[in-house]
Amino acid sequence: MTTRRLTAAALGASLLLPLTSWAPAVASGGDDDRVIRTGSCTAGASWKLKVKTDDGQLEVEGQVDSNINGQSWRWRIRHNGTVSARGIGVTQPPSGSFSVERRIVDLAGVDHVVFRARHLGSDQVCRGVIHFG
Amino acid sequence: MRFLRHPVAQYVAAGVLMLVVIAGALSWLSGRAATTEARTEARRTTELLGRTVVQPAVQRGLVQLDAGAIDRFNRRVRDALRTADVVRVKLWRSDGTVVYSDQSELIGQQFALGAAERAVLEGAPTEAEISDLARRENRNERDQGGLLEVYTAIESPEGDPLLFEAYYSLRGVDDRRTALLRAFRPITIAGLLVFLAATTPLLALLTRRLELAAAEREQLLLLAAEASDAERRRIARDLHDGVVQDLAATAFSLSAAARDAEAPDSWRARLESAGASLRDSLRALRSLLVEIHPPDLRAEGLVAALEDLVASAPASGVRATVSAADVDGLTGRDAALIWRVAQEAVRNCLRHAAATRLEITVAREGDGHVLTVRDDGRGFDPQRTTTPDHFGLRGLESLARDGDAALTVRSAPGAGTLIQLRVSS
Repeated sequence: MTTRRLTAAALGASLLLPLTSWAPAVASGGDDDRVIRTGSCTAGASWKLKVKTDDGQLEVEGQVDSNINGQSWRWRIRHNGTVSARGIGVTQPPSGSFSVERRIVDLAGVDHVVFRARHLGSDQVCRGVIHFG
Repeated sequence: MRFLRHPVAQYVAAGVLMLVVIAGALSWLSGRAATTEARTEARRTTELLGRTVVQPAVQRGLVQLDAGAIDRFNRRVRDALRTADVVRVKLWRSDGTVVYSDQSELIGQQFALGAAERAVLEGAPTEAEISDLARRENRNERDQGGLLEVYTAIESPEGDPLLFEAYYSLRGVDDRRTALLRAFRPITIAGLLVFLAATTPLLALLTRRLELAAAEREQLLLLAAEASDAERRRIARDLHDGVVQDLAATAFSLSAAARDAEAPDSWRARLESAGASLRDSLRALRSLLVEIHPPDLRAEGLVAALEDLVASAPASGVRATVSAADVDGLTGRDAALIWRVAQEAVRNCLRHAAATRLEITVAREGDGHVLTVRDDGRGFDPQRTTTPDHFGLRGLESLARDGDAALTVRSAPGAGTLIQLRVSS
C-alpha cells in the first residue's frame, strides 16, 4: 500500500455553469490522507464530497442534502475524466439526504475526482471536485 | 576402529547411511511433489479466476488505461481475488504495460515481458514458475519470501489479448512438503529400521558361520603346512646329512689333491678349478636348503642364516654383503621375523631388481632392532603394487603386521629399493 501525501490542497469547486448559479465550495479537513469539500447546489440543496485513502485505494463519498425526502437524484463519480461509477439516489428521512460511497484506484500522480448529482424533477445540479494527490 | 572392520558393523553403518540418504531423498522428493502439486493447483486456480472472475470484469476502456474502467474492474475483482490465496495480481497488455494491479502504483508502467509470458499471450497453455524477485516489476514482493507466479491469457472486449498474472506464496508449498514428509517419513524410516533390525542378526549369524568355516579352513591349512614343513625338513636334513656332507668332503679332497706337490701342474689346476666349482655348488645347495626349510633361528645364528640367504647372489651377478651388530638381545621370534622379511626382500631383489649390489644390515636402534635391505636395482613405484610380481611385498607387509613390527618400503623407478623392518623388543 502506498501512503500518499496530499501535495495540493483540494480545489473545491463550485464551477459556474451557464444558466446556473453556484455557491462557493468550502474545504474542511485537509489532513494528509483525507479531503472534504462542501458546497451549495443550484437551488438550495447542498453537497459534500470526501476523498480519503483506504487500504491502498481511495474512498470517495458524495452526499446531497435537499431537506426533502423522496427526491430522486441521478449521480455519477468521474475519475480522471471518465465515469467510475453512476447511479440514482433517493433522499431519505430524517434529513432528506442521500449519500454514495465508492472506492477508486489510487493512480500515480494527482487523482481528479468529480461528484455530480442532478435532481430528476427540477434539473437542480450539484457538483464537487477534488484533486487528490 | 578395528570394530568397524567387522562385517556386521559395516552393514549397520551402511544401513544408517542408507537411512540418512533415504531421508534426504524423501525430503527432496516431497519438496518436488509439493511444488508440482502447488503449481498444478495454482495453475487451475488461476485459470478458474481468469475465466470466471477477471475476464467478465474487464470492460471497454481498461486496455486504454481509462481510470473509470480501472475503478470498475478493481471493485469487481479485488475482494474476489483476495479470497483465493492470491497475494498479488497483475493484468498485462501485450506491450508489457500493466493495466491493472492491486499494487496500484504499477498501473500504467511498462516492463519487458519474459519469453514465457509472451508465449502464453500467443496461445501457449497457462504457465507457472517461481518468481524472479530481482525483476523490477516484482520489487514490491521481495519481502514475501518465495512466490509462485502463474500466467493465463484472457481477452478484452476490444479483442486485445491480456495476460492475467497471479502470485501465490510458496509458504503453502513448504507446508505441503512438511505434510507429505510427515505422512511418508515414519513409514519409510520405520520400515528401513525394521528391515535393518531383522537382517542384522541374520547377517551376524552368517558371518559367524563364515568365520567358523574360515577358522576350520585355516586349521586345515596349518596342518597341511606343518605336514609340508615336516617333509621339507626331512628332505633338507637328508640332503644336509648326506649329499652336502659328501660334497663337502669331496671338495676338501679335491683341494687337498690340488695342493699335492707331486701332482702335475696341469692336474693341480684342474683339481683346484673342480674344487672351486664344487664349493660354489655347495653354497648354492645350502642356500637352496635354507629356502626349502628355514633354519630354527636364534639371535646367534641370524648372521649365518642371512649369509646363507645371499649365498647364491654372486651367481646372479649381485655383490651381497651382510652385517649385523648387537643382535644378542633379539628374541627367537624377532630373529625369525627378520630372517623371513630378509628372505622375501632378497628373493625379490634377485628375481626382479636387476641389481648389482645388495646390502643387508641388522642394527640395534633404541629398544628395538632394525633390518635394512637395500639394493641399487631398477626399483618400482610402491603405489602400484597390484602386479603379481608385487605379491611378495604384500606378504612382507602381512608378516610385519602379524609380528607387530613396522615395515617401510622406499623405492622409485630407477632409484633402487630400501626395505626396513623395525621390531621392538
